[in-house]
Amino acid sequence: MAEEKLLLLKNIRKSGYKGTLADYRKTGGFTALDKALKQMKPEAVQAVVKDSGLRGRGGAGFPTGVKWGFMPKDTGKPSYLVCNADEAEPGTFKDHLLINEDVHMFLEGMIVSCYAVDCHHGYIYIRGESMKSAKHLQQAIDELYKEGLLGKNILGTGYDLDMTVHRGAGAYICGEETALLESLEGKRGQPRVKPPFPAVAGYNGCPTSVNNVETLATVPWIVNEGAEAYKALGTPNNAGTHLVSISGHVKQPGVYEVELGVSLRSLIYDYAGGIRGDKQLKAVVPGGASSPVLTADEIDVPYDFDSLVKAGTMMGSAAPMVYDEDTDIVELAYRTTRFFNHESCGQCTPCREGNFWLKNLIRDFLDDAGDESKMSRVKRVAGGMIGTTLCPFGDAAGMPTVAFVQKFPEEFRKHFP
Amino acid sequence: MPEFNAKTLKEADALCERYAEKLHALLPLLHLVQRENGGWLPPGWDAYIAEYCETTLNHVRGVITFYNMYHTEPVGKYHLMVCTCVPCGLCGGDGVLEHLEQRLGLRPGQTSPDGLFSLEEVQCLAACDKAPLVQVNEEVYERVGPDQLDKLIDDARKKSA
Repeated sequence: MAEEKLLLLKNIRKSGYKGTLADYRKTGGFTALDKALKQMKPEAVQAVVKDSGLRGRGGAGFPTGVKWGFMPKDTGKPSYLVCNADEAEPGTFKDHLLINEDVHMFLEGMIVSCYAVDCHHGYIYIRGESMKSAKHLQQAIDELYKEGLLGKNILGTGYDLDMTVHRGAGAYICGEETALLESLEGKRGQPRVKPPFPAVAGYNGCPTSVNNVETLATVPWIVNEGAEAYKALGTPNNAGTHLVSISGHVKQPGVYEVELGVSLRSLIYDYAGGIRGDKQLKAVVPGGASSPVLTADEIDVPYDFDSLVKAGTMMGSAAPMVYDEDTDIVELAYRTTRFFNHESCGQCTPCREGNFWLKNLIRDFLDDAGDESKMSRVKRVAGGMIGTTLCPFGDAAGMPTVAFVQKFPEEFRKHFP
Repeated sequence: MPEFNAKTLKEADALCERYAEKLHALLPLLHLVQRENGGWLPPGWDAYIAEYCETTLNHVRGVITFYNMYHTEPVGKYHLMVCTCVPCGLCGGDGVLEHLEQRLGLRPGQTSPDGLFSLEEVQCLAACDKAPLVQVNEEVYERVGPDQLDKLIDDARKKSA
């Protein structure tokens, strides 16, 4: 197996590491918290994260330090930091690895980040199905309260911080940050009209930053090692390492930590061990279900935010799903549209109706009742969802569907009567 | 109308204190009611929770029906959630669902007459590297096959016999 570049998984990869508070302290845990609270002003923490070039690991890749910078100060309202641990994109399972196996590293990142944005109550929004992870998280938080690392006067510095775990209840859309905030306010998870952006009016109408688990877990490393050390990793404008969740028909599916810019081919063949049963590769969905598919000939692309956009797809939450020669692309397309149809919040017509019709149209192909006009109708309906909805869900559902038909027309033609 | 007992009321009040407003605790409150009632929301609880949160019944019902995990019908003591999304569906998830349908004589959405099992077809469970996945109550079973499922069903039947 090719070697990983270990920043976030350095503890998890050590044998015998259980992720307890004692384990984490032994590895130098909470030194970043000590440094930030005792030697740095919140603005200085923001600055080092901004200078590091860290981009959000939830899918959009927005620069974290810049996002924090958008939060207005002196509004007379409290500021909030909300961690997005909803992780519901099919193919993605990296954040749960951090929560389950190195929870204190993530929590240290969360506390330091709360300090950076002058937040005194942080929320962790975790998907409802993950009951065990939520309990694990709650136990770790209880422990930190007892140790004086949460609550009043943390490390004797006068900084107060509360932390609350909020469980969702089974809705993919709550991974979208404004839907998440609605859900956190006890409402249906329907995305808000933007602007105002959460930085200005987020939780309870107050300045709020919503950040992904992996993003926050990276912050202690950056505070300890500095912005330059982080920027030295990866490719220009795509700094650092990324946890990549590889699934599907590979020999060793799992999470791998690599520097951004490694080739997608290398991820599949060197890290994940190649295709199961030494079969041929047919397709890769490179960044979770909402990223447009790549063919076997298109995998010599650097795996980073910008290169994948240039290749007509996106890195999303870094979750390549790999499919072998036996895969029916129509089946794959059907599962994907069925998922989006199920998860559409129903608020915007193009998404609600479009996904319903896409699912039915592609179902026709599975019943061997496809034809050329239905193929163009799939493209037209899916195309009509792109850019026409309040939140990126319309794009997320439309783009991959168009790509399936465009890149694999013969697969669809196999399902003509 | 049902209501919280002294112990759950205390727990509910503590939940509300974690938020800027009482209404914000609605999701955790509904989880609490389900936990106390065998995994579902028996009639009347929606109205009680609306009153408790100082909101309308419409709001509470809107929330209950929006989210997949709130059940307004009884679920089995063992609630089996089978992922057939991508990639599980393309890595054997369909076979898993079919096997369970046959063994339990249930279709997704149904509960067995003895109240022991209910079956649900779900979307991504966020452990795709270990596909196919089945979640039974809180426990996620990875790379599941027919033998493991049969054992699970047999063990559950023995335990409740």
